Amino acid sequence: MARIVRLKVNGRARSDAIPDNRLLVDYLRESLRLTGTKMGCDGGECGACTVLVDGEPQLSCLTLAASVDGAEIETVEGLAVNGRLNALQRAFHEKLGSQCGFCTPGMIMSAEGLLRRKSAPDEADIRAALSGNICRCTGYVKIIEAVDAAAAALRGQPA
Amino acid sequence: MNIAAKNRSVGVPVPLVDGIEKVSGRAAYTADLAADALVGRLYRSPVSHGEITRLDVSRALALPGVVAILTGDDCPHAFGILPIAMNEFPLARGKVRYRGDPIAAIAAVDAATAEKAIDLIEAEFAELPAYYSSKAARAADAVLIHDDRPGNLEREVHHSFGDVEAGFAAADLIREDVFDCAEVSHVMMEPHAALADYDVERERLTLHSVSQVPYYVHLMLARVMEMDSSRIRVVKPFVGGGFGARTETLNFELIAGLLARKVGGKVALTLTREESFISHRGRPQTDIKLKLGMTKDGRLTAAECEVVQRGGAYAGYGIVTILYAGALLHGIYDIPAVKYDGYRTYTNLPPCGAMRGHGTVDVRHAFECMLDRMARQLGMDPFDLRRKNLLTAPMRTLNDLIVNSYGLDECMDVVEKVAGWSGRAARKTPGKGFGMACSHYVSGAAKPVHWTGEPHAVVNLKLDFDGGVTALTGAADIGQGSSTVVALSVAEVLGIDLGRISVVANDSTVTPKDNGSYSSRVTFMVGNAAIDAARNLRDVLIRAAAEKLDAAPEDIDCADEAFFVAGSDQSRLTFKEVVAAALVDTGTITVKGTYTVPPDAQGGKHRGGAVGSTMGFSYAAQVVEVTVDEELGSITVDKVWVAHDCGFAINPLAVEGQIQGSVWMGLGQALTEETVYENGLAVSGNMLDYRVPTIADSPPIDTHIVESIDPNGPFGAKEAGEGSLSGFLPALVNAVADAIGVDMDELPLTPDRVLKAVAAKARAEKAAAKMAAGR
Amino acid sequence: MSEALPEFDLARPATVEEAVAARAGAGDARYLAGGTDLVVNMRRGIVAADRLIDLTGIAELDRLDLDGGGTVIGAGVKLAAVAENAEIGARYPAVAEAAAVIAGPQHRKMGTVGGNLCLDTRCVYYNQSEWWRRANDYCLKYRGNVCHVAPGGDRCWAPFSGDLAPALLIHGAEIEIAGADDRRRMALSDLYTDDGADHLTLGDGELVVAVHLPADNWRSAYDKIRVRDSIDFPLAGVAVGLKERATGGPELRIALTGTDSRPVLVDGIAEALADGFDDSTFPAIEKRLKKQVQPMSTTTLNAPYRRTAAAVVAKRLIARLVG
Repeated sequence: MARIVRLKVNGRARSDAIPDNRLLVDYLRESLRLTGTKMGCDGGECGACTVLVDGEPQLSCLTLAASVDGAEIETVEGLAVNGRLNALQRAFHEKLGSQCGFCTPGMIMSAEGLLRRKSAPDEADIRAALSGNICRCTGYVKIIEAVDAAAAALRGQPA
Repeated sequence: MNIAAKNRSVGVPVPLVDGIEKVSGRAAYTADLAADALVGRLYRSPVSHGEITRLDVSRALALPGVVAILTGDDCPHAFGILPIAMNEFPLARGKVRYRGDPIAAIAAVDAATAEKAIDLIEAEFAELPAYYSSKAARAADAVLIHDDRPGNLEREVHHSFGDVEAGFAAADLIREDVFDCAEVSHVMMEPHAALADYDVERERLTLHSVSQVPYYVHLMLARVMEMDSSRIRVVKPFVGGGFGARTETLNFELIAGLLARKVGGKVALTLTREESFISHRGRPQTDIKLKLGMTKDGRLTAAECEVVQRGGAYAGYGIVTILYAGALLHGIYDIPAVKYDGYRTYTNLPPCGAMRGHGTVDVRHAFECMLDRMARQLGMDPFDLRRKNLLTAPMRTLNDLIVNSYGLDECMDVVEKVAGWSGRAARKTPGKGFGMACSHYVSGAAKPVHWTGEPHAVVNLKLDFDGGVTALTGAADIGQGSSTVVALSVAEVLGIDLGRISVVANDSTVTPKDNGSYSSRVTFMVGNAAIDAARNLRDVLIRAAAEKLDAAPEDIDCADEAFFVAGSDQSRLTFKEVVAAALVDTGTITVKGTYTVPPDAQGGKHRGGAVGSTMGFSYAAQVVEVTVDEELGSITVDKVWVAHDCGFAINPLAVEGQIQGSVWMGLGQALTEETVYENGLAVSGNMLDYRVPTIADSPPIDTHIVESIDPNGPFGAKEAGEGSLSGFLPALVNAVADAIGVDMDELPLTPDRVLKAVAAKARAEKAAAKMAAGR
Repeated sequence: MSEALPEFDLARPATVEEAVAARAGAGDARYLAGGTDLVVNMRRGIVAADRLIDLTGIAELDRLDLDGGGTVIGAGVKLAAVAENAEIGARYPAVAEAAAVIAGPQHRKMGTVGGNLCLDTRCVYYNQSEWWRRANDYCLKYRGNVCHVAPGGDRCWAPFSGDLAPALLIHGAEIEIAGADDRRRMALSDLYTDDGADHLTLGDGELVVAVHLPADNWRSAYDKIRVRDSIDFPLAGVAVGLKERATGGPELRIALTGTDSRPVLVDGIAEALADGFDDSTFPAIEKRLKKQVQPMSTTTLNAPYRRTAAAVVAKRLIARLVG
């Protein structure tokens, strides 16, 4: 069965017929071609598919698109403004919080969720917020530095 | 080549040239390109070892929406990475050798249909005895997994250098320990995927894949598909890591090509995480018996090492892996005599292959643990003991490897100091321990596996009316930053802004052939080729500038986007002016640069002597601080201090990232990671049971770069992405020994293993006390 | 592309009554809350349903009533909300502590109290792909005849690994259940039986709608062992509660998860404490604890280790509470 689902995706209101068994990640990647959101595992184990659902980091690979009817969805593609990277994207780029880049969208969305509820996170906060996202390249060292730098930039402090 | 860096394009931290795509979500990986493709799925063997007695795909083929099915009958040609050991078929022919061996492939209109069709395939097997350990596979009465490999041995290696007997005779202390290192897997974040598009009218194939070695994939596609290689285009889009998993052609890449031809269109074969695990090619389970001799002042006199690697069902890189394990006993310390016996077995498990630190990690682990234990026995500091055994560059090792630059002593000095090693006793609390270890790795295999006589690396540059320089390289950037190295090298030599340079990588119709991203070869070889290309371009531009400025070419220099007569303020042209002048006669300028490893660096004359040979070894030392909970067996790594000699850091930011990633991957292998099989079924084929450390488990890594300036490296650079891995494992085990007095011989140090060892030690102490009391 | 989920229709009821009614009408229907357990299992092919009843739109399930003497936590309350609720943390520390360490942060934003209580049991022979399980002739829990953990026996040993249950047991929680005809309340301990293949006692179509916690003065704590400090399920989880009495020393409760097919509230603690609390007490408790839990080879870690480590965790939590 399919139904009309109303979602706001990266700020744009949408109304799409979506099959009941369609996962949010497939809807984003295949229907909307928002392929920034990645699939790294067979379900719920790696965090690469993390998107914001009403501002909260959630796993799009375990979410039915129809069950978030009415929600606001944000993906990594929605963060830049007029092509300009947001603070986290810039920090991940400049501090090398991203190597192969495959975990990066999920990692950034988890970090985005953190910075929206806490403007001055300490290292323990950062570790806690990102502990559902696996990265295989960085050893996480520069990821922590990147989130820290982004938070500082958003607070108007030099990184 | 080692030319001094003066323009500060290299040697300063720079973000990756392709980083913006990754953080913005625009970077397209293979699976992101698959939108309009048919969906491929594989039917895999449910049994470990057996003859296929019946295979009926007719019901599956009849299912509406199924477009094509392939079986082993469609795959008459074997493939493999080593020309002398190709024994794998894209789809099994007649026999299956591990649970998961692909038997049939389906292309269907969607995933649901493809999966339904898989369920309709009927197969029967005459099962054969299956072997899940090297020991079982080597038993006298074992059935052969490959008919031409008696004893189920892929290769045995027996190398002896120096007078081993005399060495041990001269020793005051001889110790022999046995180590068992579990099999580990790469778990690159991007699951395997290939997208093949076959143009029936032109009889041309385009393959996008996750490869680290698009050139080898190209060769194997031509072989397996019986196509002229000019009709094949291989493109590597963004790739989500590799760590060695993708340094050989993998079955799904070939199957995708075959399926696309069969359907006359586009097929995406996107593997699940479980399938990515069982495609494997990881580091084999390894048994090591290591015997070292030492004088009482800590000088090594001899080493004797036996290594048995459980290789899995197919050859892969196995011969190279077992050779590496022995070859890199050399090249780090001065050992007068070294004997090595290596055995690479075939077993009925997913095939092993190359993984970061290829072949060397488990042996280095054993060696560095032994040094620590012997230092303890001799009452020596482990740093001091190692300092007794250093090499002096330049030199040639017993097995004919060249060491041209050697920063190990400096690495040790740095970590000893920053870790506060000498003051560690004051920081010791119950359960707290400190350990150290050293390691090394090659900067590219001096002899490629496919020997053609061609240069080891080629880079092309194009300069046109717009003043933009396009660098064309076949080097596969899989996240390590190789495209950035190429761009920086060109910018440095030409003295131009990085923004002028575009790097185009990995499209076989456009970019020059490259052997690929493995054995840490890219920075050294492709970096040198990029420098060579940039110098050739600079020569063209200097000639044009010289003519325009009415000066001798040898007086012209370039920097800051300008060409000028050295020492003159007036005689100066902007880069764009020089480009315009240079284009007048020729139009678009294209130049090429190459790099070739000189023959005398390509290893010894003994059989297998090419493996381990390299133009430059990286060196690393690290200190690990742990807290061990003796009741729970859990280990917390509090901090790591590491120093790595990469010769020269072309991009210090990326070098740090590589060192940290290496140390941390060593942490995973040491603490939590292992593949687990149940009668050949991969129990741990998921990211819950195969435990890649999370950020919550990962320590701060205090990272230091040591620059020994290699005489042959690009700007003096050597490798940065592998050498620090193997040192972590022994540094950790040594720290645990320091913390709780238990020597762990088995990896990984999961809490159940630690508790078992703690209990064994308690029993031994009790027994010893009882003996003493009874006396 | 992900593994395609099987076809099903999705009901999105607005009330508990509608949810229960939607379930009654369907042959093979399941309630869907956060999806962090059910959707994984559906993707693996170990749960099939032709109807999913999405509970996320039911306001009643989100209730969190901390005003009265007792506490009511709706089954739809997110685990993260439980972990972050200061009042729950103050009244029922073990509950908040358990919620705070479930899986990873995204799972806690999605997963619910009811979902965690009704978590499926887990086993390395069960939580595998369809290809894997078929190659292994399936197992007693799903489609097979043999429990590979204990092939000689006739039961499934898959352990329950929800973290909240032991913490709630310590505090004497009751659950409120909605059925087709009425609502009922029962002790949380009665929700479970020790059978990995059928560990929940819920009747056909019954839905856990809330947890009721009495006002009490139990101090409590929760901790668990797992290899990684995030994402992993517990290899064993332990909740301990302690109540000071006017006379006769403290009262103690210990409950475990991850070891058996149901959460285990350890029996006979009162007897162990009969002579008051001193250095000899813990060995007596440890003996009872180890006797009453039976971890089997359902994880890649050694089973006896899980028992040993669980006792260590219990000892430390007791020490922490005794102070």
